Amino acid sequence: MGKSTIIPFGPQHPVLPEPLHLDLVVEDETVIDCIPQIGFVHRGLEKLVETRDYNQFIYVAERICGICAMGHSLGYAETVESLMGVEVPRRAEYLRVIWHELSRIHSHLLWLGLAADAFGFESMFMHCWRLRERVLDIFEKTTGGRVILSVVRVGGVNRDIDDAMLREIVNVLDGIKDDYTKIMNTLLTDTSVKNRTVGVGFISKEAALDLSMVGPFSRASDVPYDVRSFGRGAYGELSDFQPVTDAQGDCFARVKVRCLEVLQSIEIIKELAAKVPAGDISVAVKGAPAEGAQASNVLEQPRGECYYYARGNGTKYLERMRMRTPTSQNLAGMATALKGCDLADVNMIVLTIDPCISCTER
Amino acid sequence: MPQFKQDFSPLSIEAIHEVAAARKSEGYRYVQTLAVNTEDGVDLVYSFMKDGALDNEVVSGVPRDAVIPSITDVFLEAFVFENEIHDLFGVHFEGIAIDFGGNFYHLSVKEPMTIISPEQKAARDKARKIAAAKAAKEAKAKKAAEQAGAQEAPAQAAEAATAAAAGAAEDAAAKEAELEAKLANMDPEKAAKVRAAMEAKAKKAAAAERKGE
Amino acid sequence: MGSFKLGGMTFGSLFKKPETTLYPVETKPAPAGLKGHIHNDVEKCILCGICAKTCPCHTITVDKKNRKWAIDPFMCVQCSSCVYACPKDCLHMLPTYTPVSVSQFCNVFDVPDPKNPKPAVTPNSAVKWDFSEPDQLGQLEK
Repeated sequence: MGKSTIIPFGPQHPVLPEPLHLDLVVEDETVIDCIPQIGFVHRGLEKLVETRDYNQFIYVAERICGICAMGHSLGYAETVESLMGVEVPRRAEYLRVIWHELSRIHSHLLWLGLAADAFGFESMFMHCWRLRERVLDIFEKTTGGRVILSVVRVGGVNRDIDDAMLREIVNVLDGIKDDYTKIMNTLLTDTSVKNRTVGVGFISKEAALDLSMVGPFSRASDVPYDVRSFGRGAYGELSDFQPVTDAQGDCFARVKVRCLEVLQSIEIIKELAAKVPAGDISVAVKGAPAEGAQASNVLEQPRGECYYYARGNGTKYLERMRMRTPTSQNLAGMATALKGCDLADVNMIVLTIDPCISCTER
Repeated sequence: MPQFKQDFSPLSIEAIHEVAAARKSEGYRYVQTLAVNTEDGVDLVYSFMKDGALDNEVVSGVPRDAVIPSITDVFLEAFVFENEIHDLFGVHFEGIAIDFGGNFYHLSVKEPMTIISPEQKAARDKARKIAAAKAAKEAKAKKAAEQAGAQEAPAQAAEAATAAAAGAAEDAAAKEAELEAKLANMDPEKAAKVRAAMEAKAKKAAAAERKGE
Repeated sequence: MGSFKLGGMTFGSLFKKPETTLYPVETKPAPAGLKGHIHNDVEKCILCGICAKTCPCHTITVDKKNRKWAIDPFMCVQCSSCVYACPKDCLHMLPTYTPVSVSQFCNVFDVPDPKNPKPAVTPNSAVKWDFSEPDQLGQLEK
């Protein structure tokens, strides 16, 4: 047994798009303990709810994170709607889900590109981001923004998608699917990728349940937990929804689950685009949340379950707004996955968990 | 397919750890802990979930000097939230598994979430005003109803007339209270303008009445 | 030999149109619905101030007395909430990518008075979003 050393990892590191610091306790080349630390990008967005009314705060909620922008605005709007008892038109629910699933595709493709880059697979990185660009173009055409969409409002959505555009979205997605399937098959059968990921960072099903992990991280450990399966909003209209799971629980399983979720999202959008009902896209919301009224809500973000909580105080300003994001739930799981791994595998494990630190700190 | 439902229930400080352990043995998932800064202390909300049922346990009014038992020995993942609440709200947790000792967030102000901003104070005052206006409206309506009841007894023939009058009075009182509530919601400048306009209108109406007489 | 599975796709890319454009020689055409920047159709504007109240970043200032409507493009987040809130439909988001600028400025629009149709001949009149000549813009120094 060698002497144990503490190696700092991050906050600046080539595989980390965002500042996360890990104190790795290393014995020889093996990590025996890990203490995660965040707190480098805390912006106090939750405090801002006191100076922005509930309609304005949606634009703040969106800016928590660039990749999950659509998800955060949707989760926030759903929470305030449940706080005030607002019924959203069916068409708006469909459009919200279509945009949300598109943003899941874009998030997973972005992550896949970064992962490929970390594997040293440059050309795949280019291909993934090329496909992601098409999703961003759809966003630009339908909402007017590429990353920050500003399309959800309390009581519905701001913009409509007409039938011609829906057909175009389906066509573009078909094109993406062709290219994407080739990329995915390459990635999932590649020997060097397998050498790097299979058996690395293993988390058992019991540990995943014990640590209340969420999102693709838990689904890769055979925990079939997906908020979408509660069938809220337009998800209830899907003929069949089964969360993508994998029993292996290692890095490769996490890559695989995310890869397959892109295909699942494409299928969801195609199914919903075919049956978007006609009607209004928003209802007027009047009044203010009652004093002391509370509402909580969960939503499946690309990275997992996100929890929202709102409390009113009788005015149009909310008393408290809280977002608990998937990564803060997964930090303990990440520390557990890192225990016992090789120092060289740390970046792979951190990457396949896909931490979003801006979300976590708000 | 499990259905999503949310539920809020009260919880006492002593019971936090017991409840967490019980939830764990029942197979619940830990969702989160959050804090709300209120006038009578910090509220803590613990959330657990099982099969789509989201259970929020609310500990209301935690005093400043209270020590909260940590639940990190049951749910390790709670260390993020407990450190965060300690740094942002100044609530003391005892026995956090990974304790950062107040260095989780690097803050320029201590316990920033407990500072009541002027905006929040204004919002709270406004809420109080609206509540007061509502109470006044209810009291007035009650009074009017009582008056109507008192007048009803003596003469049955005049009943219809008095009821109508009482109804009108009630209506007027309700309208006034509603307006007060609305005004409380508006900017002070605008409210003053509206009040002035209303006074002018009332004067005009009175003048017209006198003319008619 | 997984790497060669991508070979077909990569080889095909040799003969396709490139996915990227030669910016700045070539620019991307802006789609019709793009949220570029706010334009005020001053003929219809009644200076009600609802836009200023709705704005989450307090970007818009409405001066009813001097009949001026101003927006700070550097604070605007292009959320278009003012466009949806406008009762007269006089605000629009024009689909033009915002060009770069070397100094900060405010965009001031003069709103003509329908009761007093005297053409405003102040130096700040007729603001256009033409960043190619930044000196000729009706600008208020910050």
